[in-house]
Amino acid sequence: MTTSTLADRTIGGTDGGSRPTRRRRPTGTIAAQSVLYAILVVLAVVYIFPFLVQVATSFKTDADAAANPVSLIPGTWSAAAYERLFAGSDFPVWFANSALVTVFVTLGRVFFDSLAGYALARLQFRGRNVVFAALVAVMSVPLVVLLIPKFLVINQLGMYDSYAGMILPLLVDAAGVFIMKNFFESIPTSVEEQARIDGAGTFRVFWSVVLPMARPALITIIILSFQGSWNELSHFIVATQSPELTTLTKGVASLASGQLSQGTQYPLKLAAAAIMTIPVAVMFFIFQRRIMNASEGAVKE
Amino acid sequence: MTSSTPAPGTGARVRRERTRATGLRRGDAAAGWLFTAPVIVILGVFLAVPVLMALWVSFSDWGGRGSPFSGDVDFVGFDNYTAILAGGGLAERDFGIALRNNAWYVLLVVPLQTALSLFLAVLVNRAILRGRGFFRTAFYFPSVTSSVAITVLWLFLFSATGVVNKVLAAVGIAGPNWFNDPTGVVHNLLGVIGITSGPTALTDADLLGVSLWDWLAGPSVAMSAFVLMAVFTTSGTFMLLFLAALQNLGGDVTEAAMMDGANGWQRFWRVTLPRLKPTLFTVLTLGLIGCWQVFDQIYTGTQGGPSKTTLTPAYLSYTAAFNSQDWGQGAAIAFILFLIIVAFTLIQRWILRDRPVSKRRAAAYLPKATKTTDGMTR
Amino acid sequence: MQSRQHRRTWAAGALAAVGALTLAGCGTGFSGGSSDEGGSGGLTSSDDSLSILIGSSGDAETTAVEDAVAAWSEDSGIDAEVSVANDLPQQLSQGFAAGEPADVFYLSTDYLAGYAGNGSLLAYGDELSNADDFYPSLVQNFTYEDDFYCAPKDFSTLSLIINTRLWEEAGLTDADVPATWDELADVAGRLSTDGRVGLGIGAEYQRVGVFLAQAGGGLVNEDGTEAIASSPENLEALEYVQQLITDGSLAFAPALGAGWGGEAFGKELAAMTIEGNWITGGLSADYPDTEYTVAELPAGPAGQGTLQFTNCWGIAADSPNQEGALDLIEYLTSTASQLAFSEAFGPMPSTESAAADWTEANPELAPFLAGADYAQGMPTADGSIDVITDFNAQLETLGDADIEALLESVQSNLEAVVG
Repeated sequence: MTTSTLADRTIGGTDGGSRPTRRRRPTGTIAAQSVLYAILVVLAVVYIFPFLVQVATSFKTDADAAANPVSLIPGTWSAAAYERLFAGSDFPVWFANSALVTVFVTLGRVFFDSLAGYALARLQFRGRNVVFAALVAVMSVPLVVLLIPKFLVINQLGMYDSYAGMILPLLVDAAGVFIMKNFFESIPTSVEEQARIDGAGTFRVFWSVVLPMARPALITIIILSFQGSWNELSHFIVATQSPELTTLTKGVASLASGQLSQGTQYPLKLAAAAIMTIPVAVMFFIFQRRIMNASEGAVKE
Repeated sequence: MTSSTPAPGTGARVRRERTRATGLRRGDAAAGWLFTAPVIVILGVFLAVPVLMALWVSFSDWGGRGSPFSGDVDFVGFDNYTAILAGGGLAERDFGIALRNNAWYVLLVVPLQTALSLFLAVLVNRAILRGRGFFRTAFYFPSVTSSVAITVLWLFLFSATGVVNKVLAAVGIAGPNWFNDPTGVVHNLLGVIGITSGPTALTDADLLGVSLWDWLAGPSVAMSAFVLMAVFTTSGTFMLLFLAALQNLGGDVTEAAMMDGANGWQRFWRVTLPRLKPTLFTVLTLGLIGCWQVFDQIYTGTQGGPSKTTLTPAYLSYTAAFNSQDWGQGAAIAFILFLIIVAFTLIQRWILRDRPVSKRRAAAYLPKATKTTDGMTR
Repeated sequence: MQSRQHRRTWAAGALAAVGALTLAGCGTGFSGGSSDEGGSGGLTSSDDSLSILIGSSGDAETTAVEDAVAAWSEDSGIDAEVSVANDLPQQLSQGFAAGEPADVFYLSTDYLAGYAGNGSLLAYGDELSNADDFYPSLVQNFTYEDDFYCAPKDFSTLSLIINTRLWEEAGLTDADVPATWDELADVAGRLSTDGRVGLGIGAEYQRVGVFLAQAGGGLVNEDGTEAIASSPENLEALEYVQQLITDGSLAFAPALGAGWGGEAFGKELAAMTIEGNWITGGLSADYPDTEYTVAELPAGPAGQGTLQFTNCWGIAADSPNQEGALDLIEYLTSTASQLAFSEAFGPMPSTESAAADWTEANPELAPFLAGADYAQGMPTADGSIDVITDFNAQLETLGDADIEALLESVQSNLEAVVG
């Protein structure tokens, strides 16, 4: 781990530049490491504490939340916020809609992104470069520009205020194609050539030979699609209007601006925010190693 | 776009070439278009067509009823653009205010998130003992949560008697009423040293309906809370990028520099940082693009208040169209925003342009950097 | 724009137009030309079910509207479904742009001009059988370019809400209820303590405007043709409010850490507030223990003044079943329906014939209805919502604002949209 020596010097080593390695200065290193860990711990507290507050507050009563916002242990435990969410509001519907959209979008992106990524990486066809350039151009369009006309297009196609209108436009993403293309370019062609010689068709080669090898990249796509569609807000604002098609992001946003509640009602809102964080958090912890290594792995493979 | 698809048969020559090149590529052309068709169609219909449609709307007097292509809708030239940029009315001033708010937001968020994520990456990279994974997770976790959920949390943390102010009170600081405080931070700082009103040179001159003195107000206290939120939620993602880049650097370069007797700080500035330039470029670009499009947080949190100090062009574009029925102006704002983003990206690409030497180095890890980032910001 | 031609009674129109426009009404083709409507005249009619889009203040309102609509459905045999909007203006805009709006919807005065201006609304006011029963001031609110667009659903005025316990603790009696600005300043000062202000209100024209009205000012003149924001009356009013802020006896809700006046009042951050009828529902839901009295607002230099708010039942120009919609609205604005709504969630009936019944049922809320005699409505000119939003943004910092400059900027913004 030579990289660590680099960082040693960057932060703690103001006085020790001339000493090349840590082993020669055990005492100094321990001091430096202590400082380093102290900083890291403080920062980690800053990053984690808000989420602990969120969960704790969701179990408080309104009065308790207002009076003791910092406390991580509710004065009196109350599940009232959750009861109101699940029994007294459309929250379950929102959750189901978000889940449905997320599943379809993730499946769609995994399939279509890898299909297109494969074609752009491997198949020689006239216009490939144009397609690729168009893809890059599309990635640079700021999404807010689309806010206004997107629903007009959706409506023109008769998909306004339907699951189709919610899901179809999200079904592919340029960045995902980009990732898959990069990945496919990094794997050797020999296996495919063998399959082709054995007489497999292009789709067959892609489906049975190449795709199984692309697991790491596919997991990246799954993570990103899941996260992206679960957290999407503006598209659902312009694509739907019915209460029964409201997603979590849209629903919780309306909750935050006080539609369901008079007054602040922070436990209710934070409970809703906490629950909507759970699926991405679970996803995150399942694939944590993969996320963290996403960048490292990609090049080495 | 799809019309350029070569009909079966037209690509005979091409196919022959391919066949010669790889032996077994007979069906490539058809398969290539077939495989990319879903992506082309969906992106074309839901990205390219809407962009063109918005462009038309921004030059039309479409009032929000029926199709913008119907006969009743007229081409009005640059009317919508002039109303925003030189109309002298409320539309111009709102745009000026929104632009000012967002400019300060960008000015603070982009450097802060870049510096913090680099700092975190260096720290985490250095921690080889137990806990490295834990710290990475802790710093990255806020990035996976949705902006809606984080905004709700932030509204609570930064409420008048909320967590942040309680913590500040514990160390003897009377915290502001964050999301309800429209005063500009720079103005407040000037107020501390006794300057409460600007020189007439600044107060009399105005740009986009906002006086120069008000341009210099700084982000409002409310906007500052959003700045902190943006830094909090994005630093983790960018930390991962820097971390990956740092690990790719390896030790050889650093060791060479050590032989020269450079100390740690010098090595970081002279050796490490230049090597991180491509990643830096990615982080800055993504930061800029993201920061100019602030929408979710404003929609969920403040709806532009207090006193319009959290109004952003993206949100203004939305309300102009959907609430005020000024669809043409809304679309025009979106396009001006688009141009701003493109301009900033180009300027910054020019400033950070690479010398050829490090470009070769960059090639080693640029692809992977692009990979992670592009996806995660979506 | 089109309503003058629509003179036929709805019953005759229903028979004549059944089926004829049904198909056209479903497609976007119908929405394209407002010009051809003049020729055909009459309302559309079909067997199509009605969709009703409302912006609800809470479960009580939603249930009340749903029940009323269900009862009508049973009578008329026309299916109707009530939806609650997350964000009413945005959803309406999308519906209009898409050519598939809700048939019947809540419409506030703020948005009337925008939607009427782009032809999204049906101006059916004159076809209502009970058209003459509505308060003239409310009809005025929903009249755009001389057309009476839609039936006022109900209305609210602003009154002074007083926390009875805090009032008594400060040694005040019924005789002290302020009738003038000076008295208001006096009691607000006496009710202010550490951590509480005498008067806590929303930082918006929709509340502060009562002082403009009491001073004889306002945003536009009586017939809405001229901007009068920079009048000396308004200056006087805002100086009065600013003085109260300086004295520490008035604060805006956000400064108190509250979302609106009712919350500041319920949390006892303010001993008095200025709110409308809806506060009764809000208080009984969130702060059931708070005891309060409702009083008429004090008179200013120009006498008594308050603001009134109202929504109407809009009908979409693109609705395929306007006859049915009109019938539904006549049912919903009937005295019986309005009294039921009032009981469920607090607003006052928009028809004069229901006033006596309402006062009898709600004696303690009588000051709200009394306010109707001298209330000002919101400006309805296209674009005035943006002006008010901008005014509100400036009002938040009223405490140390240059009032003349503030009013001057409102004046110039208003001049751009009025007249």
